[in-house]
Order: sequence, then C-alpha cells, then structure tokens
Amino acid sequence: MKQLALPIAVAALLALGGLVVVQLLRPSPAPTQAEQARLIAAELRCPDCQALSVAESQTASAAAIRRQIAEQLASGQTPGQIRAYFVARYGEWILLAPPSPFAWWIPPLALLAGIGVFAWWLGGRRRAAEPAAEPPAGSVRQQIRDEVEQLDA
Amino acid sequence: MATRLLRGSMLRWLALPLILLPLGWLLFTGLGGDPRNLPSPLVGKPIPAFVGTTLDGEQFSSSDLAGKPAVINFWASYCIPSCVDEHPVLLDLAARHGGDVQLVGVLVSDTPDDARGFLDRYGQVSWPNMLNPGGSISIDYGVTGPPETFFVDADGVVVSRHIGPLTRALVDEGLASLGIAP
Repeated sequence: MKQLALPIAVAALLALGGLVVVQLLRPSPAPTQAEQARLIAAELRCPDCQALSVAESQTASAAAIRRQIAEQLASGQTPGQIRAYFVARYGEWILLAPPSPFAWWIPPLALLAGIGVFAWWLGGRRRAAEPAAEPPAGSVRQQIRDEVEQLDA
Repeated sequence: MATRLLRGSMLRWLALPLILLPLGWLLFTGLGGDPRNLPSPLVGKPIPAFVGTTLDGEQFSSSDLAGKPAVINFWASYCIPSCVDEHPVLLDLAARHGGDVQLVGVLVSDTPDDARGFLDRYGQVSWPNMLNPGGSISIDYGVTGPPETFFVDADGVVVSRHIGPLTRALVDEGLASLGIAP
C-alpha cells in the first residue's frame, strides 16, 4: 500500500492541475451589452465627482456618460472605440487606470529598487563599523619575524 | 583601505539625499498642482459641432459662430458661488467686447426654469444659452463641471480652456490669445 501512495499522490496532483488549467482556459460566456456598459463605466472617472467612477456616481454628468456608452455599444462601437471617444474629449484623465500596462510594473519595481538601495546602504554601514584587519606593512612584518626569531633563540 | 572605506561611506550618505530629494520634489509638485490647469485635448482642434434650442426658444448651432472669435461658457444655476461670481464678469465682457466676440452659454445638467430664475436674479444676458438636454454638448467638450469656458478663434479652433470662474484678468488673457486687445 505504501508503494502506491506516491503514484496516487502524483496522479491526484496532476488531476488537480488539469482541472485548474481547464478552468483557466475555459471560454467564459460573452458579456451582455449591459455588463459591457457597466465595465466601461467602471473604468471611466466621473467628471464632476471625487474618486468615483461613472458606474458608481449618481450625478447627471455620470448618467449622461452611461447613456452615451449604452448608445454607442448599441450602435456597434467596441469598448476600445468608446474609451478612445471619451479620451479624445476629456484626455487620459478620464481613465481611472493607466492606459499603459507597463505602468503597473512601476510600483513593484520601485519597491525592489528601494529595497536594493537600502540593503546596499545598510551593508556598507556594517562594513564601515567592522573595519577589516589590514595586513601588516613590510617593515612591521620584518619586525615580527625578528622578534619571533629572538624568542626562539 | 581607510580612504576607500571613507569614500564608500560618503557615497552612501550622498546617495540618500540624491534619491530622497527628487522623490520629495515629485511629491511636492504633484500635490501642489492646480486641478484647474487640467489640459484639454480640444486645444488646437476645431470645436465639436452642436445644434439645439436656447433658453429663449431659438435654434442655435456652432456654425452660427463661423468667422468670429467666440467664448463658450458652461454654467448652471446650482453652481454657487462660482457661477454667481462669474456672472458680472461675463456681463462686463459682453458690454466691452460684444462686437468683437460671440458669447455662448451652455447649461450643464440644469433645467430651463432654474436657469431663467438665475438670470432673473443676477442679470439678464444678451447672448444665447443652449439648453443641452442629456448633456451631450458637455460630454463633447469634455466639461468637468461648471463653470468652464472655452476661448475659440475666428477659424473655430479652441485656443484655451479655463476651469473655474472667470475673472476680468482671465477674460483679458483669453481675449488676448484670440488677438483681441482688452
């Protein structure tokens, strides 16, 4: 029974992994137009609110933008075209998320750089606090040798 | 060896302000920025076309502005005190430069009755005020909230946009950018 334990565990792990992969690769059902409109509205900043998306805000401007999103989706515009439409009028300011995917890498990279700089700074301090023993100069070395010979004699 | 250590230590102490000072400067300038200086992507481009009814029930369209510099002002009766403060400035602009520049008001999420009540209280105007039902004109101009003003040259190109209430100095600056001496 013990001999079977390992193959069973490996098979179970493989089956689990397979399930995860299938779940990840399974095509999700296409979002409805209302869901698409809500997703786009959630990505746009409400023009006359503070830190609220168009989807969350109850102001008249946000309602007008939601109406325009729904109309444009109904007329066959893609979410990308609709986002571009609002950016052309309000500027990139209207987008709640940075348009470039690289921007998402800046905070973790900055954190890593900060940790690196701190480690370098801390390491240097520690080295400065514990000065390495310097090898004795030639004349000192000769003096030690002479004293040792005198002791041996 | 000792010199090298000393140099390394100095470098480390120099590195700290070299990193912290630019970060502090970025934070300071970021926090100190004026949100009214939000750049408009419309600057340098032709104005978005609009057509609709005015408060007086007349038809008005952007093509009526052709060949004359224009000041397009987005406002609302609920925009207090900014629009109240700005109103005499606009009346003064119309009195001084009504012949040189076409003023157009556009209501932002407001009802005609409330807008008329505002004008009854703070002073009637001689320029058209678009009703803007559904807010489509506000969206086309990327308006963030009233009051907001666009200075447009005679070719129908947006020269500048100002967010917030106009002052006499800002009006003169805007007119100068349209080639009109204050």
